[in-house]
Amino acid sequence: MTSPRDQREIIRDEPLMHRPILAALADGPRTIPEIAAALGRPSSEVVYWVMGMRRYGFVIEEPEANEDGYFLYGRKDAR
Amino acid sequence: MDYDVLVVGGGIGGMESSLKLGDMGYKVLLVEKEPSVGGRMILLSKVFPTLDCASCISGPKMSSTVNHPNVTVASSSLVEAIHPQADGSFRASVTHKATYVDAAACTGCQECEPVCPVAVPDQFNADLVPRRAVYLAFPQAVPKKVVIERAGTSPCSGECPAGIKAHGYVALAREGRYEEAFQLVLEATPLVGTLGRACYAPCEDQCTRADLEGSVPIRAIKRFLADRHYAESDTPGVSLAQANGRSVAVVGSGPAGLTAAWQLALRGYAVTIFEADDEPGGFLRYALPAFRLPGEVVERDIQNVRDVGVTILTGARVSDPVALTTRGFDGVIVATGTPLATPLEVPGTDAEGVWSGLDFLRDVRLGRAPSLQDQRVVVVGGGNVAMDAARSAARLGASSVSIVYRRGRDEMPAHEDEIAGAVADGASLRLLLGPAEVVTDSAGRVSALRCDVMRLGEADASGRRRPEPVPGRSELVEADVLIAAIGMAPDVGALAHVLDTTHGRLGADPTTLQTSVPNVFAAGDVVVGASDITRAAGAGRRAAINLDRFLNGEALGPIDALDGRLDTIAHDSVIRRQARYSEHAAVERGLNAGELASFEEIERTLSEDEVLAGASSCLDCGVCSECGSCARACPADAIDFTMRDRTEEVRVGSVVVSTGFTLFPADLKPEYGWGVYPNVITGMQMDRLIAPTRPFNTILRPSDGKVPERIGYVSCTGSRDRTVGNPRCSKICCMYSIKQNQLIMGTLPLADVSMHYIDIRAAGKRYEEFYQQSAAMGAQYIKGRVASISETPEQNLLVRYEDIEGTGNIVETEYDLVVLAVGVQPNPAAAALFPDQALELDEAAFVFEPNEDLQPGRTNIPGVYVAGAASGPKDIVDSIAHAGAAVSGVAAYLQAHRVSTEPELMGVTR
Repeated sequence: MTSPRDQREIIRDEPLMHRPILAALADGPRTIPEIAAALGRPSSEVVYWVMGMRRYGFVIEEPEANEDGYFLYGRKDAR
Repeated sequence: MDYDVLVVGGGIGGMESSLKLGDMGYKVLLVEKEPSVGGRMILLSKVFPTLDCASCISGPKMSSTVNHPNVTVASSSLVEAIHPQADGSFRASVTHKATYVDAAACTGCQECEPVCPVAVPDQFNADLVPRRAVYLAFPQAVPKKVVIERAGTSPCSGECPAGIKAHGYVALAREGRYEEAFQLVLEATPLVGTLGRACYAPCEDQCTRADLEGSVPIRAIKRFLADRHYAESDTPGVSLAQANGRSVAVVGSGPAGLTAAWQLALRGYAVTIFEADDEPGGFLRYALPAFRLPGEVVERDIQNVRDVGVTILTGARVSDPVALTTRGFDGVIVATGTPLATPLEVPGTDAEGVWSGLDFLRDVRLGRAPSLQDQRVVVVGGGNVAMDAARSAARLGASSVSIVYRRGRDEMPAHEDEIAGAVADGASLRLLLGPAEVVTDSAGRVSALRCDVMRLGEADASGRRRPEPVPGRSELVEADVLIAAIGMAPDVGALAHVLDTTHGRLGADPTTLQTSVPNVFAAGDVVVGASDITRAAGAGRRAAINLDRFLNGEALGPIDALDGRLDTIAHDSVIRRQARYSEHAAVERGLNAGELASFEEIERTLSEDEVLAGASSCLDCGVCSECGSCARACPADAIDFTMRDRTEEVRVGSVVVSTGFTLFPADLKPEYGWGVYPNVITGMQMDRLIAPTRPFNTILRPSDGKVPERIGYVSCTGSRDRTVGNPRCSKICCMYSIKQNQLIMGTLPLADVSMHYIDIRAAGKRYEEFYQQSAAMGAQYIKGRVASISETPEQNLLVRYEDIEGTGNIVETEYDLVVLAVGVQPNPAAAALFPDQALELDEAAFVFEPNEDLQPGRTNIPGVYVAGAASGPKDIVDSIAHAGAAVSGVAAYLQAHRVSTEPELMGVTR
């Protein structure tokens, strides 16, 4: 699903999305589409948020992508 | 001469020019608009055809530039204008933009970044990932100093008369950092719960979001913060300065006095409040009705003040505040408000049933109001007290409530919400009626108010149209109770012998609030007349800070929180940042469902979900929210919000323009879908995805984070394309695409990489071999211009083109990710540097070199040279060579004109 929203607007939501994304990862790492499904938000928006959270140390990826070509992202504090 | 050479732009051309000139002994000023030198090169993955790491080879050059003894680097700076002088030198004005970070103290540790609650697109990562308002440009930045992006004061914060950083607490609340948000309000005033309910919220009036679907519910968010804190904590949770051994008396415990006491207590003073009434709070407790501000909220806010050690003496009327300075107090702040009701000066006001608005509201708050059951109540006045009285009367069972006002509704001084609330409570507005006489019955009780019918004349001193009686016309408004609420005034009569009380108010300097007695200050309505609680709180803050300065022997004057704010950013500047806005569902103010007879609060506290929804509609107008989180996180104490832009004039002997280029905005080719299809990206975005400091963990599709398996390139996007007005080749696109092809195949060995091209332009040393090598590695090169790109339901991309070398048919190929090899465009900043003498541009608007064959780098202005891609598309090798040519021209010019900061270089000086 593609977001019709302006990129700046999506990025502005990143701090707001920390808590729901971390909650979605409470049971373990997930792919971007899985996080998107859990939040009910477009994957293209979740990419911005997860990559922002990765940048600032909230989440971290698994070393290898899964067989479908998706990385799993988990809570850094769970490591 | 300040510098021999001014170099404008710190990319590879500017750095190379500066280093070479510095090595020659010339003094160089290099001005770079970004926080770091390095230009675009430092953002690249690798360079072609050597595939050297871009940051590995440009990093040392950046460090050498900044540390060169003859090169002064001004980053985050702009050259505003350069003026050629008659002697061949130049005068330039350079603005050093405030970074709000002390560069000498900042260690680049970036501890500030994760705590910043404002996320914006990271321009140094081609907008692929968020960064924070406080940020290090990129990990290899030189100088390695963070900066804070501030576009101005956000309108909400700029409008607050108490200097509360509204944007700051909204931004913190958006992240769920409620306690920090509460503490941010406490920096201004202890009255968080009060202002969360009874402030008239000028912040919301100014909110840019109000230009869209409606304001951020700023005040309601503050109320949530207060209620949440008070439910969870018995103390304000602030840190006090060490006791300084001084004591201060505050006379009056309304919003001004409480705020002043709070501010002084935080600074280490022993503060005593003298309150004439039985309980502290002033109008907060005795004038504002409980349905707007419950007494327990006022009490809880006042408890904040007690909790920081302030002593509150009630029943302690002070007739001579100056005398307190002889009773052991080092200073005094008078904040006694406006306790006197302005009398209604018409015959009959001594009749039974006539009240002043203040007395009526006070009795209501004290639970001794008369029953108004079945009474006809007439309220005279158009201000907030009148509205509060009318609404209170309605709750006390009045059969009718009429508000008599001598002007029209537009001229009513009450807040619109209050007027609307009164009307909603059943009050009727009787406008353009001027009270003339209170009519009484035989028992001496009010029975009606006779009014002159008025009309509006010219505007008076207040700007409102003056009411004039219509000759011969009057009306009788029947009344059992008459409440006169036409104004309030300070009670300063007793102070006339010790302080200036001209005009019936306490005289004080409007900026410092110092009175005629040096250690006596005054704050709030006693100085300015009736205003509102937020203004009073701001005045208390102002007086406290200036009294503190006075007692410390410092100069009095404006205070940063109120007078030192950056200019407020204009709404249209904010709105322009986005191409489109999605509508946020309005957060309802949550009126309590209650009977009119109840004095229960008319508003409820928002839920956490409502707070988050409301806060998320904030547009971060000023970018930085001034929440102060960065300052608290900084271990070097480097954050300095008082920093301001500084412009200096410099005289230089010569100029090198190295302003580089801009990239073609890919959205100007809508048929390619950039900005619409998330998996269509630009070459610069791909370079960032490949770079070691990439924004993602590897090369991923922006639509869903999938590793792409089929990647297509579209060359000549915005180049060799008359439809976008650029028939020229951009020279570097083929080669950077081929470079990326190779790097992708190295990073994603299973990926298929194809490039759609018109011609491969590989003219350079080992460029053709580089291209052949890429093809040999497996990259496909498909001749034929791409006509359009469309998206499949899976967000793959169908690239449509003419298969020139194959079938000759129009075909479509599907990719997971498409990269547009965008072309190079001139940077218009170059020409803008010279307001006096035009810097000539070529037909493409790059800087013109009149004799580029024989004198590369020379421009039409003697003494001005151009280096690098400012004069046309160039790869890195050519840019460096071109800078060398410009430098030799500069040296020759300086020698010829014998203009230098170093006479020995010239032999002769002017």
